[in-house]
Amino acid sequence: MFDISPDHAIGIYAGLIALAVALVVVRLRPDRKSVPGTVLGASVLLAVSGAIHLGLIATHLNETLTAALFLVNGTGYLILSQMFTWRWWRPATAALLVATLIGYLVWIVIGLDSPDQVAVATKLLELTALGLVLIPTRREAGRPHRTLRWSALGVAVPVLTLVTTATVWGVDLARPDALHAHAGALIQQTNDVATRDQATAAAKLYSDTAAAIAPYQDWHNAWAAGYRPGGAPNMPSTHWMNQHNVDAGYVLDPSHPQGLVYANSKHGPVLLGAMFQMTRIGQFGPDPGGPLTPWHQHENICITPLGGFEFSLMTPLATCPLGSIDITAAPMLHVWIVNNPSGGRFAIDIDSSVVKKIDQA
Amino acid sequence: MIKPESSTRPEAAFVLLILQSMFWAITGISAFPFVLAGEPFMGALGLASLVLALSTFLAATGVLWRRRRSRRVVMVLEVVCLVGSALQLALPIGANHGLVSLMVNVGLPLAVILLLRKPREAFT
Repeated sequence: MFDISPDHAIGIYAGLIALAVALVVVRLRPDRKSVPGTVLGASVLLAVSGAIHLGLIATHLNETLTAALFLVNGTGYLILSQMFTWRWWRPATAALLVATLIGYLVWIVIGLDSPDQVAVATKLLELTALGLVLIPTRREAGRPHRTLRWSALGVAVPVLTLVTTATVWGVDLARPDALHAHAGALIQQTNDVATRDQATAAAKLYSDTAAAIAPYQDWHNAWAAGYRPGGAPNMPSTHWMNQHNVDAGYVLDPSHPQGLVYANSKHGPVLLGAMFQMTRIGQFGPDPGGPLTPWHQHENICITPLGGFEFSLMTPLATCPLGSIDITAAPMLHVWIVNNPSGGRFAIDIDSSVVKKIDQA
Repeated sequence: MIKPESSTRPEAAFVLLILQSMFWAITGISAFPFVLAGEPFMGALGLASLVLALSTFLAATGVLWRRRRSRRVVMVLEVVCLVGSALQLALPIGANHGLVSLMVNVGLPLAVILLLRKPREAFT
């Protein structure tokens, strides 16, 4: 969702070229003064959206139906972008925009495409164009149907914005790509199947780490060593970070993990595992176990200092709640010393049922 | 109250502000599931985002009615958004620099500012 699919990148170039051309063409049209500026704005956005759709045909030739729909959409947008003096221009354009928006949502829900930056940006252009097409302006000639258009604007734009965003987000969370796991974590690229050496190295990393953090089963020892809990205390588990180990920049050193993870049980903190973290964003650490020990990096997190650094996820619109900022956490690798049936010893997450069992024990 | 004029810039700005208001509303709603996960302050931030969404909508209505005060409020809001976005993009915190982020957090506020930059034409 926050990446650009390689087969969609061409759409950006087509859209940028169309923007420049459409701005010139609109200025050259002698009848441009007979329509409101909002119509001219919509005309330019339609041309850009049309060019993006047409640009994508070349990279979707093996998907016949998708390519055909791109052709119909793109051509329709380009024609309508130049027909703004036509009597039925507003209803025809609004109908095509709404149909395209809904059609795209159906497309991604049934899995024929996955949302990316080009697609979401194009939907935003279409929503803006729809608003500009529908909004009544002062001193419009003829029968402007103001009440009908205000009603359509008041319903269609908010509802379509909400539904589009929710669908894109839902699809992305339900079907992340191979390099993304829960909540948008970017996973380090590795070989597919672990070699014998990698399996041995992963087992050694596990045993070394388990032995090194064993004293921290008693959280008082962790506290004495400089580990401090962060985040909301009423979460099922909490990361305790050691700022000295973070600043020192130890790399995958079992004796100096940057963090520890404790379950917040009724009986107090119960050690679940260790967390190694790199110092720089985008700098994945050494990966001794190959596919068994991939690092991951949390991107597009909205974080606030309130409540000991609470966080949420950035929306597909690239916005964060007021008072929080969008950050990326440097790559990290967890080593779970408790049984983690859903993901194993080096999984990104601990199984929530494990934490629940610990709490109930 | 309203001077006769032919500019449709306020209408265009209204459309963009309605979209921005929806974006804030969606962002506010998106924070609430994290309250259920044990982050109470996210609820407060979500509520603040919803209030901002409502304020943006009201200011947009004022812009549509050519109210000079609404125009001023919107200009301040968009400048604050731009400065915040510029900081977030400039600082090495790994903020999203994607196409949608640039459109929503930079392009949209900039477009609203450009549309409303000449107040004497239409606003009273």
